[in-house]
Amino acid sequence: MAYYLKRWRFPFFRYLVLGIWTLIAGFPIFWIAATSFKPAHQWTSWPVVYVSNEPTMENYREVWGIREKTVEEASQTYEKGKDARPESVSMNKAWKAFGNSLLIALIATSLTVAFGTVIAYGVSRFQILSEIRMFQLLMLRMIPPIVVAAPLTLYYTTLNLMDSVTGLVLIYFITTLPYAVWMTKSFIDEVPREIEQAAELLGATRWRTIVEVVFPLIRSGIVATFMFILILTWSEYLMSFILSKVDVVTLPVQLSKYEGSTEGRMYGTQSALAVGITLPLMLIGIFIRKHLVRGFTFGMVKR
Amino acid sequence: MSQIELKKLRKVFGENIEAVKDLDLVIEEGEFVVLVGPSGCGKTTTLRMIAGFEEPTSGEVVIDGEMVNDRDPKDRNLGMVFQSHALFPHKTVYQNIEFGPRMKKIPLEDRKKRVEEVAEMVHITPLLNKLPSQCSGGEAQRAALARTLITNPGSFLLDEPLSSLDAKLRREMRAEIDRLHQELKKTFVYVTHDQEEAMTLADRIVVMRAGEIEQEGIPMEIYNDPSSYFVADFFGSPSMNLLDGNIRKGSSGESFVFEGYGLSLDLPRLDNLVEGEHCVGIRPESISVGDSDNGLELSVSLVEPMGKDTLLYFSHSAERPLIAVVEGSTKIQSGDLVVVQFPKDSIYVFDSDGIRVK
Repeated sequence: MAYYLKRWRFPFFRYLVLGIWTLIAGFPIFWIAATSFKPAHQWTSWPVVYVSNEPTMENYREVWGIREKTVEEASQTYEKGKDARPESVSMNKAWKAFGNSLLIALIATSLTVAFGTVIAYGVSRFQILSEIRMFQLLMLRMIPPIVVAAPLTLYYTTLNLMDSVTGLVLIYFITTLPYAVWMTKSFIDEVPREIEQAAELLGATRWRTIVEVVFPLIRSGIVATFMFILILTWSEYLMSFILSKVDVVTLPVQLSKYEGSTEGRMYGTQSALAVGITLPLMLIGIFIRKHLVRGFTFGMVKR
Repeated sequence: MSQIELKKLRKVFGENIEAVKDLDLVIEEGEFVVLVGPSGCGKTTTLRMIAGFEEPTSGEVVIDGEMVNDRDPKDRNLGMVFQSHALFPHKTVYQNIEFGPRMKKIPLEDRKKRVEEVAEMVHITPLLNKLPSQCSGGEAQRAALARTLITNPGSFLLDEPLSSLDAKLRREMRAEIDRLHQELKKTFVYVTHDQEEAMTLADRIVVMRAGEIEQEGIPMEIYNDPSSYFVADFFGSPSMNLLDGNIRKGSSGESFVFEGYGLSLDLPRLDNLVEGEHCVGIRPESISVGDSDNGLELSVSLVEPMGKDTLLYFSHSAERPLIAVVEGSTKIQSGDLVVVQFPKDSIYVFDSDGIRVK
């Protein structure tokens, strides 16, 4: 009897705890998604509206301009007063920020992963960095970003990098490089050296060996690293907020700009933008899961 | 075909871990040399220095009369088979075998023909379209052999190629490697820790211990005439009975007698034998059991039928039991007292440093 009791008890409590935790972790995500469909008067209404009884796409239209809006329409809504939105919140800004974020994240991530992989290969095979150096590299990440942010503005002003795509790409490249090196190194370490040596003895140059043998084996790892760093860069706020303001606004910074002069925070519109930021990440998350399964040695070395 | 010569080859890892100490060895063209020894004896390091994956601290690797220390592995005209087979896991067996010729830019048609030839040679034609992960251990090792064969190297280096296989497959592959050597007539350098592999495959065995050559010679020479306690202990299965004890002059004053563990054995005449602490050894198959009434009476503690032979374990106070081999099956049971003879010409004597006394 006790045995059977035990048998169902443990999974039951495990799922119970996990279930509660999922609710806690998932609630803000639900709240944002729900708010994005609420009309303005339900954003902060009391009693709390969990799921709107009069769902609207107005917030999305406002932010992402799903529907083409004419100048007259825009001014009409503005005049109506009830759902008034300040001029600063135009749909173009969100798309522009989306473009900026995408451009910066893709360039920075590509650079980081490319350099990171090369460095990691050097570390893994030729010990170009000692173990201590590798930890120091990671320790760079332990400095609170705000500490370096202020001095950086001075450098950036002098170097004319403020408010530019180049400037943000550069800072993201530098700050995420340690992760890229560490992650790709762990994948390269798993490729047995003997495989490379076999290729070498068969007449392959170092370059051919990397292209034909090493790269196909770490491809999944590189994809996983790429996605991880893309997410970091995509959602970075602080550096972007400090090092750019007017010309090159990224999505997380844009998110903070939905504040009306009379209404306070524009929660609905903000949520609509937040959903737009989060959705690509969720899709990536589903994609990365497949690649994170490290099946890439194919049960190769039998010891 | 190549001749490989190692001159005062030395390898030090880190500050002072001396893996190989001033090794001198000449491997003749077409010879099958087996480097054998326990793990950490420097045999794999030696092989890797021949291949060029490990740079010697000092000394020279000479292949066909040319010093190759500064040559890349691929320019040494060698083929190597690794313990882990090291097949490219993302390529099919065909693509694996084709890799070498493709790197050497051999035309597609010729490549295809060569792949089929070598696949035929090691009997893996049906596997060509499989991935290494779909092959069994033996099949993968055959594929690895084929991949090396196709490049037609002057000599083959094999680093414990069979140690990851089970016993039956190992015997099969051993025969396969032996056949390949006879067919190809190339130089083979084979590293193993398995004395049986060494005995069956080698033209010449090089026994290594702590980075040095302990003894080298043809298999039967190593077996019948071990130069030290280490070699005597290492070769043979079951291994040689080795007993520590004291040697003193016999009553006649001419011959010597060994005493220890309640045994008293007459020893052969040896020029350099002196009295004192020694170790004597006798192979299990040299001990004759129950042939005459004249001998020592010992009690059998365990009977182990092996099929063709039967092993008898005798209890006495040594660390390892004394073992004798009798042919076929026997009526002797554990607990029986049997008369055992130690023919004195089959007894080896080692001094306290483990050196054979002759």
